[in-house]
Amino acid sequence: MREVHNMEEELKRAFLAMKRQMVIDLVKKEIDSGMDLLAILKACRLAMAEVGKKFETGEFFLSELIYSAEVFKAVSAILEPGLIANRNGADSKGVVVFGTPKGDIHDLGKNIVITMMRSQGFTVHDLGVDVPPEMFIKELQRTEAYILGLSALITPAFVSMKETISLLEEKGMRDNTFVIIGGGVTTDFARKEIGADAHTLDPTEAIRLCEEYGERQN
Amino acid sequence: MIQETMSRQERFDAVVALERPDRVPVMPLMTAFAPRSQGITQGEAWRDPEKGFKAMLDTFNDLGGFDKLYKPNLFWPMIGGRFCSSPVRVLIPGRQLPEDALNQIDERELFSRDDYDKLAALGWNAFWDEHYEKMSGGRPLERVISAQNRLLDEYIRETEIYHSQDIYPLFGAYVDSSIMAFSMARTLTQFTMDLYEVPEKVKAAMDASCDDLIQNALDVVSKTKIPLVFIVLERGSGFYYRLDIFEQFEWPYLQRYVDAFLSEGLTPWFHFDTDWSLNLPYLTQLPKGKCVCDLDGMTDIFKAKEVLGGHMCISGDVPASLLTLGTPEEVREYCHKLIDELGQDGGFFLTTGCECPVDAKFENVKMMIDVAKTYNGSK
Repeated sequence: MREVHNMEEELKRAFLAMKRQMVIDLVKKEIDSGMDLLAILKACRLAMAEVGKKFETGEFFLSELIYSAEVFKAVSAILEPGLIANRNGADSKGVVVFGTPKGDIHDLGKNIVITMMRSQGFTVHDLGVDVPPEMFIKELQRTEAYILGLSALITPAFVSMKETISLLEEKGMRDNTFVIIGGGVTTDFARKEIGADAHTLDPTEAIRLCEEYGERQN
Repeated sequence: MIQETMSRQERFDAVVALERPDRVPVMPLMTAFAPRSQGITQGEAWRDPEKGFKAMLDTFNDLGGFDKLYKPNLFWPMIGGRFCSSPVRVLIPGRQLPEDALNQIDERELFSRDDYDKLAALGWNAFWDEHYEKMSGGRPLERVISAQNRLLDEYIRETEIYHSQDIYPLFGAYVDSSIMAFSMARTLTQFTMDLYEVPEKVKAAMDASCDDLIQNALDVVSKTKIPLVFIVLERGSGFYYRLDIFEQFEWPYLQRYVDAFLSEGLTPWFHFDTDWSLNLPYLTQLPKGKCVCDLDGMTDIFKAKEVLGGHMCISGDVPASLLTLGTPEEVREYCHKLIDELGQDGGFFLTTGCECPVDAKFENVKMMIDVAKTYNGSK
């Protein structure tokens, strides 16, 4: 128990100091010493949650989210092979389908949010960019996800967002799907016009909104 | 209609100098919207510059005219091979994208972390002279030079036609800020990693590139003869980076840009995409009544007025979502608010928040222009 606490503290310090190599070295050291892989992953998630908190309070900026998200990705890649064998999905906070709608190929913001969500325990299915409405529906059905994230930088994506929501209604899936939009061109005005449930430009707020929705569902 | 007593140019000059104009000047930052509103595809306008030019001119007239024309055509002016921004790959409608799609930037790593040393040694221009073909997968630099020079000639020719019709293209040149140029060349994520892991290398490369970027813009202005430089800023804002990063990697170079452009009698136009609220106080260090702070809707324009009012002209910021999804009445209401709170004492230019969206409703854009021509504020 004491060992886990020490590991969590060391990893948190390295994450908050924006030291990629230090985080990777610590993770490798813990693996070599026989530490449970899931415990290491959880320690990294805790560290990422701290980064998120500092972003919310204004102490950290988007750049710190971007940096730490990259570090988390690197760590996940190290831990993933060993974790896959033992995964049962029980630790997932929720299942999300995410993508940039048809007409838009921008993915910077989307990728940042997805990495942050994964770091906080969400299972995210990333459909990439220029995604037609039907593909979102199919993926929601396939994965039984109840959150749909749509990210856009240009206005032609609004039409696809609207079409996607219409299709959700047509398929009888709207009431059970939380639709959250974000990205440079989106506003709360756009959210209302499109018929989405939530809008944010802030990755940590996106996580909070999805967590709150998940809690309301349970 | 407000009785006009100033020419379009006089009206623009007045607001930059923080003087009260006869009415608030107005301009949609219009590119892709023009072909769409003329019923031609984006692909047609990109393939045939004459069609792009005609779409721009016809849309200008259909909207009843306004005070500046953002660009004469769809492209940006540049002297062949002397890049004013990173030479990113632009995906063109009808070529790499569907015929009527919006052109988009394919952001990818144009050089590696190892190349910073080379940039520091060679400077911006010599680096791209050496590196461009490798980065572009073997596309000969000569071809780019020839295409860019041809488009620059077009820009000059079209500007002359516009001038003969009392229409004034906005900018004589554009240039990326230091962070914008390097971030686009490395990608936002990799550049951010570089800032934390090899800041001294980034700094040395920027030091060596700044003069070339300035000179490239000045050389373009010497051809177009339009005394305004459109400085593209997005990635250096407080939305992305803490202020100590801004102070090291953006602000010193921006000050050098401003000094160089003002000493040549040019107006620096800061095109601030994303939220620059934290950075705005720095702008009060720049000379009063000489520059324009152009906001895209993410920076709170009303708070910007509190910081910059009486010091720098503010331009903005009718939101893209409002122009696309809203009604004319909602556009009117927002434009009235802008004029009431920013435009009654001068120092305000009513524009779209960043570019006018391709799918903006024509009647909404028309409403924005009509408000400027008919409403001078509630005072």
